[in-house]
Amino acid sequence: MTKTEILGRLQPIVAIYTQDQDALQTLNEDTDFIKDLKINSANLVDVVLDVEEEFGIEIDNAAMEKMLTVKAAMEIIEIKLQEDDRK
Amino acid sequence: MDLRTAKQQSNWQRKGYLHKVFTPAEQSLILASATPDTLVWLFWSMKEAAYKIYSKEMDIRNFAPTSLQCTIFDQDQETSSGQVIVCGRTYFTRSSLHQTFIHTICADSLVLLHQIKVSIQGDTHPADLFTPAICKSHHGAYLAQVYLNPGSLRSTN
Repeated sequence: MTKTEILGRLQPIVAIYTQDQDALQTLNEDTDFIKDLKINSANLVDVVLDVEEEFGIEIDNAAMEKMLTVKAAMEIIEIKLQEDDRK
Repeated sequence: MDLRTAKQQSNWQRKGYLHKVFTPAEQSLILASATPDTLVWLFWSMKEAAYKIYSKEMDIRNFAPTSLQCTIFDQDQETSSGQVIVCGRTYFTRSSLHQTFIHTICADSLVLLHQIKVSIQGDTHPADLFTPAICKSHHGAYLAQVYLNPGSLRSTN
């Protein structure tokens, strides 16, 4: 899966929980879920669970710990998809 | 934390949710509780309050709610006291439980915890009281502000 595809599937997920629609319009790798999109921490859990469902992956606590930006989320998704491919 | 906002925005009963946020011990207590909603947001409020201090002290930013381990020492209908342990550090908490909100103050010592003064306003954001607040938390309709002697570690949520 390309980065563009990953971002394209991630965008509608974060759109559900974002409190700052303007920041959503300029969503990019540097976008921070909490600082920029104003997603509250209780909903960050929903983002993680939605990503798991959307991509068919499991995000463990060690990976979730880093999931504060679009870039980190995309890297985690890429790594988990690659791990699944090798199984 | 505004409980009406939390209820609108979050469904903790969603599959997998508790597992991502709470330790096995916390999950057992929530599932056995007669008021699981209250306990979920009480633990959450404790974790956020402790995280505010911990992340500042350690200068880190992460999202690891299960690494913040809550214990409740004492609880009645209006207040709850407890502690949060994260990476070997202990933070003491005192929470006020209301029909529509939960507020937790937190400090790294019980002496400090008892020195904290809290001001909570709903719906409007009033000007600061006599001194600038040293910690503020805003959620839903509520703004909580905390006051203390300078130089101490503390947080609010």
